[in-house]
Order: sequence, then structure tokens, then C-alpha cells
Amino acid sequence: MSLFRYNTTVTGKEYFMQKAFCFALLLNLIWQVSGAHAAVGCTLSNPSQDLKYLFPEMSTYREDVKALDQMADGRELFQKLKERLGSDLDPVYETYETPYTVYTIFKGDNVIGYVHGVNVPGEGGVIQIFASVNPQTGAMSRFFFQRLESTVAKLLKKKEFLSQFNGLTLADFYKHDYFSKVEPASTEDKVAGIKNPIPSGQNDSDYRSTLRGVRKNLILLDMFVYKQKDEPFYKRAQEVLAEKKKEAVKPLEKKQ
Amino acid sequence: MIMNKRITGIFVVLVIELSPWLCSNLFSQTTGDPFTGMAAVTNRITVDEQSVLERFVHDNFLFRKEIYSQLSWSREAPGSSNVYSRQSAGFEAYKKFSTKTATVAAFDLQFRLVRRDHFLPVVNDMEGEDRDGFFAEVHNVYFDFYNVLNPFMSDQARGSNVGRFNFRAGRFYVPFGLNLQTDTHGTLLQLSNDRNFGFERDWCAGFWGSLTPDIDYNISYLLGSGYDISFDGQDGLLSGRLSLGSRYLNEFGMEGGISFMSGERIFRHTTMRTLSSMQERDEHETVDTIRGGLDGRYSHIVPGGTMSVSTELSAGSDEQADIFSQLYQVDYLNRSRKWGVATQYRRFWQDSESDPADSSLFGEFTWYFRNDIGNTTLHWVKLNVEDQIEQQEGARDVIVSVQYYRYW
Repeated sequence: MSLFRYNTTVTGKEYFMQKAFCFALLLNLIWQVSGAHAAVGCTLSNPSQDLKYLFPEMSTYREDVKALDQMADGRELFQKLKERLGSDLDPVYETYETPYTVYTIFKGDNVIGYVHGVNVPGEGGVIQIFASVNPQTGAMSRFFFQRLESTVAKLLKKKEFLSQFNGLTLADFYKHDYFSKVEPASTEDKVAGIKNPIPSGQNDSDYRSTLRGVRKNLILLDMFVYKQKDEPFYKRAQEVLAEKKKEAVKPLEKKQ
Repeated sequence: MIMNKRITGIFVVLVIELSPWLCSNLFSQTTGDPFTGMAAVTNRITVDEQSVLERFVHDNFLFRKEIYSQLSWSREAPGSSNVYSRQSAGFEAYKKFSTKTATVAAFDLQFRLVRRDHFLPVVNDMEGEDRDGFFAEVHNVYFDFYNVLNPFMSDQARGSNVGRFNFRAGRFYVPFGLNLQTDTHGTLLQLSNDRNFGFERDWCAGFWGSLTPDIDYNISYLLGSGYDISFDGQDGLLSGRLSLGSRYLNEFGMEGGISFMSGERIFRHTTMRTLSSMQERDEHETVDTIRGGLDGRYSHIVPGGTMSVSTELSAGSDEQADIFSQLYQVDYLNRSRKWGVATQYRRFWQDSESDPADSSLFGEFTWYFRNDIGNTTLHWVKLNVEDQIEQQEGARDVIVSVQYYRYW
């Protein structure tokens, strides 16, 4: 006998009506549940091994699911993400409903790092990027691809390429927005200093997707963990760029 | 007015014409670092003013709704009963529990209320045979307890054994073959366990985790009663599985493992009950069961998308009857994740005097409205055709299924 089989004695139409009523009631209950939540996305497939690899000295870790569609200001954050990324979000790989997982790594009672992952669309499919960061500064200590569906995967997974990201912060990406347009030769632009491992002449869109993925990862971490501590750098970069644009237009206005 | 418009027009033309000069002029200027002296703002810690209930449903709590509609047509079934209808609505609730420094447990419940009419033996609903009409089904209900030996370990020992000793108890996928790492909850194509053991989920308790960085393990005790919790004198089943760590999937696109199962399960769940020579046997009797299995899956980028090739092989016996089960599947998913095709061949052979084997060839096309990475939101329509090549009992059939599925 099944645990969940109904043991009613009524028959025929009455029986059917009872069942239909239960069915409708259940449907209603299900549909009424507020704040629909998502199955876990952007998770490490084997967190314990991956985290131990990143933090050999760790003792425990905690997982926290972050879903924008469950947050009161989720829509606003989603819009902010798009603006700070400087590009549209992919409707398949980067939806509003996509949940994220922040891993907090402990040694004893002390936090020794955060790890977080994102999906971005690549040339051959999904690129899944995980980054570990320093808990105090938010600077990247390591990053790796969990999934990389790409024809240039070997080049992008080279240690020499990956290690160039060590120490980068979200602020460096925001500064890059300014330097790449105003002072392309500046040595302050750490992001511009990253060497593209794909030989010139070959399609390097997966390299650009990787940079975008790292940036997206840091933006979300800044929102989920650091309460947008690097926001002043974004605002400053946008202000200065706007000023420069104005300055450049002024001589023309005078000529008029 | 006209003059103003002219001036504006000239100005616009000038801006467009001079924009290349403007940009180069703008970009070539060298200025000081505008970020000098700037610092990130200090964390603004917000105080959560949520009630205990609010915290429960917002903090690491996941809830998904599901609707499922399937119609299957049989070439061989007589008259009006040749169209099987299966309609359901359900949900999945998943909650993780954490202390200040560790995630210690998780709970999963997956439930459906199903309405079935004119049952046909489709491969994705072998449990539905005696569930005509409405039936409330629990698919998964289990607890996971992570790093259960932590309370007895030093910080250093916790670190070196993290992820090694996890405990799971409840009803979930039989830990044999690829099923533990494959979500077949909403799909039409299924893996081998349902045919091989008579159930793909059972009531189990066991340890799982990483044995080494390259090898994962699962060792479980199964009740051997399938959907119901029944104690009919069976000893239950002991199952063990060693599988490749996730590194192999991430770096090489490879999954795989070896599985072993031995013990007793209840007779009504064995495939032997379908054989006419066994019809008189009491369904509460138990069956000695032994199986060994080998499985693998390889995924790779191909032009326009991703292709994966899977196989499950298993050999053993039910009582004295030898058994050999094979499954081969090829899937292609377009890069847009909008559509995919799959084909599967499966054969189940059992040592018997008359027709010893069931085998089928499947073809499937899926159109995805939503197909998130990580299965967070799924929405599709599937067309599936099964051509039964061999049948142990009854006539060979062709079954065509259309399925609408939404999980969100």
C-alpha cells in the first residue's frame, strides 16, 4: 500500500469531484507561494575539493544562495549589473532568475576567502568562471574555469594566462573604462596589461568573454558580499569620462 | 526660428564630421590619474529585520514549481485506450542549513500530484502502471548531512577531510550507474535503473563524498522496496559506487564510474514478474539480487553545439537468472540551447526459456523555450518515438509521446 494513496470509499462522479477539488486546491497552493526560488545555479560541482584546492589551509566552508529575484532590490541590482558590465545580459545564460552561490571559507572562526561563480556565453557554449577573493580587499587570489566550451580552451586554461588576474580588483576594471579611452598607454591600467593568449588573427571572442565573465563575477561579489564597496570607482570613472566628453565638445560649440 | 534650425543642423553635421578628430583629440590627451587618493567604501553592514519564518524561506531556501503534460500513442493498444494521458503539477523545495562557519545539512522534497488515464508502459513512467486516476507522488525526500565527523575532529583534520564524510537518508536515486549525476526527473528518456531493478529511486541511507581529489564514492543501504516503505522480510541492498571526480567533467568532459549492488529486494519490483512463468509467485517474496556496472559519459564541442555520448552496462543475476543490461545514448544540444536531438538504444536481457530480452530504439526532438545552465528554469516541448525491437512479453509496439514540461 502506498504511503500517499487516498483511501476514500466514494465512487464515480463524487470521487472524481473530490479528487479534482484536491488537485485544484493543491495547484492553488503551489501558485500562491510567494517569492519563487530557483534550483541552485552557478555552483561548484564538487565544492569541497575545489575549495580545498584554492585554500589548502581551510577547515570549513559555508554556502549562501543569492537570487536577485528574491531580493527586494533585485530588479535595481540587475539593472546596475548590466550598466556596470557595459553590455546587455544574455537572455539564455544570464537571466534575472539565475541564482548564485557565494562560498565563504573559514580557517577556524576566521574568514580566509570568498569564492563565487558566474556563467557567460562563449563562442562554443557556456563559460563558467569561478574566482576566489581576499575577504578584506576583494582582490582576486585565483580564478578558474569550471566549464569552458571553447575551441581555444587550452590556451585560456594556461597558468601563465590565469595568473595574470591575481591581485585584480573590481576597481581595476572600472579604472580600465577610463584609461582605455583617455590614456591607453597608462601603466595604471592593470586590465590592459593582461596578455591575450590567443594569437592575433585568430578569433579571440572567448578571451573577451572571459574578461567580461571575471568582471561580472566581481560586480556580483561586490553586491552580494561587500555592499558595493567599489562603487566610488565606477562613479568616478563615469564622471571623468563625461567631463572629458564635454571638454571635447566645447571648442566646437565656441566655433558655432 | 528657421535660422535657429539651420544653425542646429550645421552644428549636428559638424559634430558628426568631426567626431573622429574629436575622439582622437580626446583620447590622446594625457591627464593625471583621476583615481589618486580614492579608496573603496567601508562595508555598510545592514541589519536583517526578518522574522524566523522569513529567514527560513529566504535564507538558502529554494522553491520551484512544475507542470508536466504527456500524451503517448501506442500502435498496438486496442481502441480508445491507445492514448495514454499523464498530467501533473508539483513543486520542489530545497533548504540548506548553516552554522556561522559551515553548511551542515540540506533537505529536499520533490512532489507531484499526477492524473493518469489509459496507462501505457512508457519508459519514463514504469511506476505508473497501477496508479490510474489521481495519485500523489513523492519523488525525492531526503536529508543530507555534510562533514558529519567534524564534531570529532580538530580544525586541521576538518580541513583535510572536508567533503569526505557526508551522510544522506531518505528516498532518492538508486546510487548505481549515471543516475546520481543525471537529472531525469522531467525527461522522457531515462537511464537503466528502472528496468534493471524495477525502481529508479528507493529508500536509502549512506555515506558519500570525495575519496581522493580524483575519485568520489557512495556507499548506501537500500530498503529494496521501491516507492513504498515495505518490510516483507527482505534484507535490503548494499550498494557501492566509485566515480570520477568533477575535475574530469570540467577539464575533459568525462564522467564515469563502477557500481556494485548486492542483497535482497521485493519480488514485485523485479522484471521477472512480467514473465508468465512467474505470474503465480507471491509479490511479497524476496529476490536475491546481484549487479556490477560500468558507466561513462563524454561531452564535447562539435560544430554548432555540444554532443554527449553515454553508456551504462550492467551484469548480474536475479535469483538464478542471469541479467545483462545495456544502454547507449547520444545527445546533441544546439549552441543556442533552443533545440536538441537525442537517440537511445537500450537492451535488457534475462536468462529465460522463451523471449529473453526487451530492447528499444528511441529518437527524440526537443524545443526549449527556456533551458538555463544548471537547470534552474526549464521549459520545453518534446517529441519522442520508441520502436520496441524485442519484447519479453506481449507484442512489439511503437509508442509516440509528446510532452510539455515547465519547471520554474
